[in-house]
Amino acid sequence: MKLQRMRIEQLRQFRKPFVLDNLQPGLNLIHGPNESGKSTLVRAVRAAFFERYRSTAVDDLRPWGDSAAAPTVELDFEHEGRSWHLTKSFLQRKRCDLKVGTETYSEDDAEEKLAELLGYQYPKRGASKAEHWGIPGLLWVEQGTGQDIEQAIEHAGDHLKSALNSMVGEVASSGGDDLIETVRSQRDTLLTGKGSARGEYLQLKNDRAQYETEIEGLKDRVLKYQEQVDRLSKLTQDYDQAEAERPWEDAQRQLEQARARYQQVERLEQQQAQERATLGQLQQNHRLLQQNKEHLEGLSRQLEGRKAELDRAERDLATAQAQTPMIAGRLQEARTAYEQAEKQRKLAGLLQTRERLEQDVRRLEQQKQVLTNNLTKAKDYHQQLEQARQQARDNRIDSAAVKNLKAAANQLNEETIRSRTIATRLNWQLEASASLTLNNEQLTGQGEQQLLEESTLVIPGVGTLGITPGGEELASTRRKLKSLEDSFAEQLKTLGVASVEQAEDRLSAFESAGRAHKHAEDLLKSVAPAGIEQLVSEQSEAESELEKAKSQLQATPEPDQKENVPALEEAEAAFVQAGTALDKAESDEREHQAKRSALKQARDNAKTEWQRLADEEKSPERQQQLQQITTDLANLEKQQAELQASLERREREIREARPDFLKQDIERYQNAVNQLRQTQENRGRELRDIKVRLEAWGAEGLEEQLNEKEAEYDQCNRRYQELHRRAQALDLLLNLLTEKRQALTRRLQAPLQKHLNHYLSVLFPEASLEVDEQLRPGTFSRGSELGQITELSFGAREQMGLISRLAYADLLREAGRPTLVILDDTLVHSDSDRLEDMKRILFDAASRHQILLFTCHPGNWSDLGVPPIDLQSLKVHAVAQA
Amino acid sequence: MPKFLHTADWQMGRAFTRFETEDGAALVEARFEAIETLAQLANEHQCDAVLVAGDVFDAQTVSDRTIRRVFNATKAFAGPWVMLPGNHDAALAESVWTRAQRLGAVPENVHLALQAGVIDLEPQRLSILCAPLTQRHTYGDLTEPFTGYESPEGFLRIGLAHGSVQGLLPDEIDSTNPIAPERAEASRLDYLALGDWHGTKQIDERTWYSGTPEPERFRNNEAGNALIVEVPEAGATPTVTRIPTGRYQWHQWRETLTVQSDLDQLLERLNALPESAVVDLRLEGSITLAGEETLLKALSVAEARFRSLRCERSGLQLAPTDEDIAALKADGYVGEVVESLRERQQEGAQDDAARDALAILAGLLREREQEASQ
Repeated sequence: MKLQRMRIEQLRQFRKPFVLDNLQPGLNLIHGPNESGKSTLVRAVRAAFFERYRSTAVDDLRPWGDSAAAPTVELDFEHEGRSWHLTKSFLQRKRCDLKVGTETYSEDDAEEKLAELLGYQYPKRGASKAEHWGIPGLLWVEQGTGQDIEQAIEHAGDHLKSALNSMVGEVASSGGDDLIETVRSQRDTLLTGKGSARGEYLQLKNDRAQYETEIEGLKDRVLKYQEQVDRLSKLTQDYDQAEAERPWEDAQRQLEQARARYQQVERLEQQQAQERATLGQLQQNHRLLQQNKEHLEGLSRQLEGRKAELDRAERDLATAQAQTPMIAGRLQEARTAYEQAEKQRKLAGLLQTRERLEQDVRRLEQQKQVLTNNLTKAKDYHQQLEQARQQARDNRIDSAAVKNLKAAANQLNEETIRSRTIATRLNWQLEASASLTLNNEQLTGQGEQQLLEESTLVIPGVGTLGITPGGEELASTRRKLKSLEDSFAEQLKTLGVASVEQAEDRLSAFESAGRAHKHAEDLLKSVAPAGIEQLVSEQSEAESELEKAKSQLQATPEPDQKENVPALEEAEAAFVQAGTALDKAESDEREHQAKRSALKQARDNAKTEWQRLADEEKSPERQQQLQQITTDLANLEKQQAELQASLERREREIREARPDFLKQDIERYQNAVNQLRQTQENRGRELRDIKVRLEAWGAEGLEEQLNEKEAEYDQCNRRYQELHRRAQALDLLLNLLTEKRQALTRRLQAPLQKHLNHYLSVLFPEASLEVDEQLRPGTFSRGSELGQITELSFGAREQMGLISRLAYADLLREAGRPTLVILDDTLVHSDSDRLEDMKRILFDAASRHQILLFTCHPGNWSDLGVPPIDLQSLKVHAVAQA
Repeated sequence: MPKFLHTADWQMGRAFTRFETEDGAALVEARFEAIETLAQLANEHQCDAVLVAGDVFDAQTVSDRTIRRVFNATKAFAGPWVMLPGNHDAALAESVWTRAQRLGAVPENVHLALQAGVIDLEPQRLSILCAPLTQRHTYGDLTEPFTGYESPEGFLRIGLAHGSVQGLLPDEIDSTNPIAPERAEASRLDYLALGDWHGTKQIDERTWYSGTPEPERFRNNEAGNALIVEVPEAGATPTVTRIPTGRYQWHQWRETLTVQSDLDQLLERLNALPESAVVDLRLEGSITLAGEETLLKALSVAEARFRSLRCERSGLQLAPTDEDIAALKADGYVGEVVESLRERQQEGAQDDAARDALAILAGLLREREQEASQ
């Protein structure tokens, strides 16, 4: 198919006629800037083919604001040696005319002819959409959709297959796809996609189950009905039999017999009770009479008893009286013993008092002695104490002062010695008569003196010699000695002694007096701890006590030493014993007196009783009474015996009748009657119930219903089975057809793959692009890369899209189908290298197909090797022509 | 000369399964018409009575309407009818009969033999010795007491019973409701009218099964008759005349097709059948596509002609010949599918799906051919 000329008028911006002619069989590059009308031309071509001439959905073709416009497209093209001329007007003038060689077609016929030629379809209503475009949708690429190859192939699907039928020769089936569609649609009325029932088939399936349930229900009810009929039959039989036999009447008869027998027994029991009462009265009488008799007979026996009692009382009294002197004697003895014991006890007490007093006197004397001794000693010790005290007082001296004195004497001594060493020694040996006076002191004989001071020695006769001791220290020593001597003298004076020795003697005497004092004090304390005055008073106290004891002892009479006096304890015990014995004797005596008077009273009473009875016993009335009672008793006993016999007889009779069993029999028969009647009544009631029920159920015609229902079920089931088989068959058929057709499609893959590889090798030398079963380019692989075409970059996808379309065009051309490729501003996303490759591909393709390439970038395509058609200039030209 | 009509096994209230609703209804209707036919026959032949030997009703609980219609259908014959309860309508404590009586549906002239005993039809001088079934199943011979039944002097002794004559009927070896084969002779019967066997059958010169007046199943030959019995006098041999009463004839054919002529013969026989036929066909063997087309066409014609036609073809293999396939113009992959289906049929025994699929495909292709040729 080669487009040769195109003319448009009143179409968008082309209000005036515009002609594009001299189109080449190969590549045509049509360029112009934006808004120059490229897209309008593309739209015009599409509208000429795809849109129904009478469509009202093509308002976009109308020039802006021109409601009276009739957008018109005229196309001239050549196909298989024939020239085609198409004129299509829209909106205001709806027309379509097609001239093919010498044949003319118009309106719908013309449109159908075109659709068949190119392989597309018209929309049922409204504007044409992608899904209607078929093969042209694949080959005519709109701006910016070059990469969307899959959709385009899908929409082209059926047209492609039918177009390619000749390619695969005998394996394709003429109308096979229609067949598949028919089978599919028939199958789909019965089965869902997943193969479960639908529509009538499903309805039948459900109905069948419904019928089954209903039949089951009816069968159940029929069974129940039959059971009820059987029950009715059995019941009727039982009821009639019971009505005929009337078993409750037998039971009733037996009941009455049992009742009669029981009443008889009851009468017997009443009699028995009456007789028993009579017997009771007789027994009572008998007892009374017996008592009377016994009473009367008892009088003589009582009299004897009384006599015996009287005798016994007399005897007791005599015995008691006989005892009286003995008891009195015993009392007297006890009294005497008691008095004796009392005397003994007093004596013993006296003796004991004396002994105690004597003891006291002894003790007190001893105590007095001790106290006297102590007192003597104490006085002695006190004196010693006083002496020591006096001695101490006399020799009182301070021991420290003595010590100081001794020290001072020593110091003086030492100082004196020292002074002698430095003093001027004056020895003399005088003729016995000679004398000297030294310092007014007469010296004779021999001697020596140390001189410490200036001395004057008067030698009688000679004169006076002055001696002045030399040395410096002499003076101080002399002073010191003097002070020491003064101090010593002072101390002596203070102490009141003449010398150190005296002082020491006094100190010794003082200390010894102190010790004596201490000793005397200790001694005194040992004998008179509380002091001498205390001791004195104690002594006088002891003395007075002694006096008192002595006087008491004097006052106490001295017992007669001859008497054997027992110890006090003994005497006390004997006395108590004697007291007790006396008490006993006294009480015995009282008791005896009481007993005697009681016995006397008893004897008197017994005597009176005996007297009274003795009188009574002898009376004649009593004799008569006794006679009468004896007769009565005999009568009574006879009556009793008769009654007893009668009672026993009747008792046996009653026992033999078994009243307890009779009672049970009555109950049993009564129950039997009730139960038998009740059973029969129940039967009657159940019979009526069942009859009513059966009448109701029978009226429903259950089995006839069941029959009918089963017929309906059978019919439903038959229809179901038919549909089931049909569904199975259709499913199988569809599967087989689809399977076989897919196998066929796979056979179409090969040639398409061949063409695709042809272009792909230019673009990507080592790459491969596989065609899937739907004849779509699918898996793309390049080196180690592997992926779907949709995963590639936009530019690459566009390139792949284009080569796929070209491959399809090749395939279609081989199948003898028209191919026209229209590319609207395509490949704008390709880089220059790729674009270069694509140009080679397009140039190659153009050797087989007419290609219209619209672009607003003529520079990109300047090396395509074809003269570009400039829209802008064409428009200017057109205006100029007009 | 006493004469009466002997019939049995009406089975009223039965619904027919395995038929189209319309056909089933027609078959039911035919049974009511059969009663009317019987009444008419009784009139035509001036019968003294009509004896129904059991199974008047198919079930105890049929609808009130059915009960009324049955008795209504007897109206044409005003003479006495004696109806005997059979095993389907036994005289139980509550039965279709008690219901009929309660409904007041039983006309004066219809005697219901609900108890064993003798029904004397005085004017007709007939003693009917009845052995009704009073239980669903009986294992003793209910006709035993016939011997002891007395009948008035000069009356015919006609036995009326329902059950299986022992040792004579096939397939009923241990059946219930047994009847002694020499009953007629043993009990001095002039005739013993039996029911239960749906085909007309003579047991001895005095003992007959009348069969059902209108066939209701494919088995049982000789159904669809009534018997007119004529006894010149007590003790004389009866004359029994068989009168066809059935409206529809039931045919059940089991055929195996192997060659073309088998089909031709079958269709010929089918064509020979009257329109009142009820036909049940079961075909086995194999058939070509052309043969099947012929068969379907013939069946379609027959369906319209007969009361009912049912044909079971699942056992009939579809074996398209090369010519068949060529005629279908099943080219390309569709041809492959045809071949595959043909193979599957041969492989798997009774591959219904493959057979049906092939039939459907052939049908579609044939349609297409027809469209194309128009």
